[in-house]
Amino acid sequence: MNSLLLIDLVNPNANISIILPELIVALAGIIVMVYDSFFPKQRNVTGIISLIGLAVSAILLAIMWSGDNIYAAGSWNGMIAHDNLRLGFSFVFLLVSALTILISTVWVENEDVPVGEYHALLMFATFGMMLMASGNDLVVIFLGLETLSIATYVMAGLRKADLKSNESAMKYFILGSFASAFLLYGMALIYGATGSTNITEIAAKVADPNFPALLLIGAAMLIIGFGFKVATVPFHIWTPDVYEGAPSPVTGFMAAGPKAAAFASFLRVFVLGFPLIAGVQASGYLHETWMTALSVMAILTMTVGNVAAIMQNNIKRMLAYSSIAHAGYALVGFIGAGAAKTIQARDEAIASVAFYMLTYAVTNLGAFAIITFLGQKNDRRTEIEDYNGIGFKSPVLAFTLSLFMLSLLGLPLTAGFMGKVLVFRPALEAGTTLLTVVVVAAVINTAISAYYYLRLIVVMFFRERTTAWLEPKMSVGLAAALLITVLGVFYFGIFSDSVIEKFSQSMPAVSRVK
Amino acid sequence: MEQPRKFADFKNIMDFITENLITILILVPILGSLMTLGFQVFLKVEASLKWVALACTIVNFAVSLVLIFDKRTASASGFFFEENVAWIRAINTNYHVGVDGLSLWLVILTTFIMPIAVISSWNAVEKRPAAFYIFILLLESAMLGVFVSLDLLVFYLFFEASLVPMFFLIGIWGGENRIYAAVKFFIFTALGSLLMLAAIIALYYLHADATGVGSFDYVTLVNSIRLGNLTFTAMTGTLLFLAFALAFAIKVPLFPFHTWLPDAHTEAPTAGSVILAAVLLKMGTYGLMRFCFTLFPDASREFAPVFIVLAIIGIIYGALVAMVQPDVKRLVAYSSVAHMGFVILGMFSFTEMGMQGAVFQMLAHGVSTGALFLLVGFIYERRHTRAISEFGGLANVMPIYATIFVITAMSSVGLPFLNGFVGEFLIMAGMWKSQALAVTATANWNYIATMAAGTGVIFAAVYLLWMMQRVLFGKVSNPKNKNLTDLTYREIGLMVPLLILMVFMGVYPKPFLDATKESVVSIQKGVMEQAGGVIEKAEAVPESKNSKPVHQTK
Repeated sequence: MNSLLLIDLVNPNANISIILPELIVALAGIIVMVYDSFFPKQRNVTGIISLIGLAVSAILLAIMWSGDNIYAAGSWNGMIAHDNLRLGFSFVFLLVSALTILISTVWVENEDVPVGEYHALLMFATFGMMLMASGNDLVVIFLGLETLSIATYVMAGLRKADLKSNESAMKYFILGSFASAFLLYGMALIYGATGSTNITEIAAKVADPNFPALLLIGAAMLIIGFGFKVATVPFHIWTPDVYEGAPSPVTGFMAAGPKAAAFASFLRVFVLGFPLIAGVQASGYLHETWMTALSVMAILTMTVGNVAAIMQNNIKRMLAYSSIAHAGYALVGFIGAGAAKTIQARDEAIASVAFYMLTYAVTNLGAFAIITFLGQKNDRRTEIEDYNGIGFKSPVLAFTLSLFMLSLLGLPLTAGFMGKVLVFRPALEAGTTLLTVVVVAAVINTAISAYYYLRLIVVMFFRERTTAWLEPKMSVGLAAALLITVLGVFYFGIFSDSVIEKFSQSMPAVSRVK
Repeated sequence: MEQPRKFADFKNIMDFITENLITILILVPILGSLMTLGFQVFLKVEASLKWVALACTIVNFAVSLVLIFDKRTASASGFFFEENVAWIRAINTNYHVGVDGLSLWLVILTTFIMPIAVISSWNAVEKRPAAFYIFILLLESAMLGVFVSLDLLVFYLFFEASLVPMFFLIGIWGGENRIYAAVKFFIFTALGSLLMLAAIIALYYLHADATGVGSFDYVTLVNSIRLGNLTFTAMTGTLLFLAFALAFAIKVPLFPFHTWLPDAHTEAPTAGSVILAAVLLKMGTYGLMRFCFTLFPDASREFAPVFIVLAIIGIIYGALVAMVQPDVKRLVAYSSVAHMGFVILGMFSFTEMGMQGAVFQMLAHGVSTGALFLLVGFIYERRHTRAISEFGGLANVMPIYATIFVITAMSSVGLPFLNGFVGEFLIMAGMWKSQALAVTATANWNYIATMAAGTGVIFAAVYLLWMMQRVLFGKVSNPKNKNLTDLTYREIGLMVPLLILMVFMGVYPKPFLDATKESVVSIQKGVMEQAGGVIEKAEAVPESKNSKPVHQTK
């Protein structure tokens, strides 16, 4: 009681329980870090501590999700949101993180990675991502973003002796900082225009902002900042180099986790923060502007990503462009959320983006698990040529990788298909010409993407191998990751019923200010 | 006491089978492929895996025959053997399957062709037989799924799923240029079907806007449309129709979307070509009739002239191009383009006769073109070439082969008393009386269209007879052909059922036409009787929810 009182004195609105999942993950990170400094290089122990942290956090989230909403009351002066956007995305982050740890087992073993630091960084990055999804305040979102970014910059450069990895980390750092500056400046301008950093208050204020022009410029800056983080065209230039240079497990993590986290904040700020308020001209103008901007960006992102992916000869670069294209598909659902006419439709659209990131994460991490495994030390074998004719030499791996490619392509019965159907849905529901055009562009792009996803299958199965092929040895962690991802691809593709329902049910109104 | 109980058990099992007949049809090949995989991995008996595949396909054929002989009445929505189980509640999509007169024969055609395809590759597949039979079996499941789905999303799912096994079949076991052909096949068909996916989702929301409940269910959608609850603006209707029609037109393939077909056919292994010609192409024509006509009757009528013109171009163009092909298999592939043009023509005549003919022609084409591809495969296995110039005078060394070839080619040309004649005759007779072209013209364009299509029959005779003359008759010009062996018992046994069907369908087409009649008439009425916005409520199909044999969801 006493300690609670103390907290109450400092902040009368403190509610530790609501951010417990985040805290657990951060705590796991700290434990790993401390443990590592006393008993260095115990990769199993630090890995298991991290996994336990993630599992406990997931259980807490599940309890919070299923129970009646005792957490909904005042939460950190409205700085923390507790809704399906937060919960859905948080699960994605935890899953991404856990899979990354499992995938990395081969890598940390082969290359003598400073494993304690790696696991600690991963935990902090996860903490940052979760904060980005739960932050209902521009400042909290920015804090989460920076926590995530700094951890990821280091992770990209973990292969210290490798020039490419260094280049990757450096590029990511410089361009990332630049984007953060845009984001922060945008936030400042929004604060200037509305007098608040709280998204709920901003949403109330956009109808009658102090300085409408500032609001627009601020929103534009935010689009640039978030656009960089989710890698949308034209802010995608960094992606291929960074993804190619970073160690494969980290690349997989970056494509699945931070991208989803940026989408979570992006959605919260724009869909919930800049809504269309009926009959108010200022909000209509802002809404229309960002919707148009994002629609154009979505079309560009999908097209550039897919067309450029066709021309790649390195599988990591190819998947980097593919991840750009997938950001474009997710944007389709995003725009659908912006155009939704009812709260329920809006929540369903937001859920569709979360579900899309979930399916993408499972598929993409599965693909990167195999790429890590086949790439071996220092990612030697990552050219598409290296996969020539391995189809019947390593049938299990090759068919699994084909499955992931087909899921990325969005073929029925795989997770990717369900994800695509769900994000196209809200955009078509809105029924405006612009959104219909966006969906048609997405559909044509999917057909274009067939070319390069199939190319890998063609190379693996339809060509004969000319050089010797020796399949590397599988580790338990990697096998577990592959099993989880394969099951995930089928589960989300066929039995997604309950998951989708959970993601898209609207929660009672929460996270009101005070 | 024992005896009745055993009988009851047996009866229960039979009831179980008939109640879940369609699911069983879809699952048997999947289980077969799993068994093949298991045998390959655990027992390492690569050589005998074909027996597993053969057993599965034959069992499936036997099971599918129940569809003909079971004399149950249709459910209220006009479908037999309906099953309806919730799949994804959040988007209200159900595993809803059933057959009617339109799909019945296509299902049986599929199950009938599959054992033949398996036997035809008995000795031809040396490379990785396990994978080959797994893909063949998976393909069967997907194709059956296409013909029985009554939920648009489930239909789309099977439609796309059928691409993957075929892609692998062409890509791994195909000819020299197989990679190009496989990728082209995949991307062409995927592009079309993805636009259809967008249209399917749009349809869901249009239904939600109109009635309050979004639906992918075919029966529900058709009902709403026929009752006038769901109407489209001209623009929306046109766009949706085109999105669906493009997917199917590519699959058929309709000129000018046919360019993938000759490549795919030529490069595919024999079994692949047979399945492609006999079943996969029918997915396009089936889709047009099942979905485009019933969901978008207005747009279908409006676009009928376009399709008729394209079909006629396809008939003549396909025939002319076939004439100059140096490769026998390519020739047969182009003849497919021409024949499928006839099917499209009959469908878009919107007369009962023409549409009945179109459905019949689908089956006839499946049998005779499938047989032609088998025959081409036989000589390819012997000589490893298909160039017409390499052959000549085969009738001297392979008399049985030549006899069968002549009969098959005649059935493809459309000789009376063989199956090709019935379909083409009905189609042209239907077109002759058709009103479909009246929309755009005052002159009697239907006569001109029929006559133009008629030239296609003549061309077909020309290219097939000319090809036979060069391949089969005359002296044995090439010494390599002197010692060719005639057909083995396996090969003859393969052709006999096909030959019997050709003759049977040509002499006594009644059972086929009778079975399809009701469904075809209902579709035809659906298209024609709503002309001018007149909607007869009596015509509407009752809600599927009221139907008895449907497994309702909780």
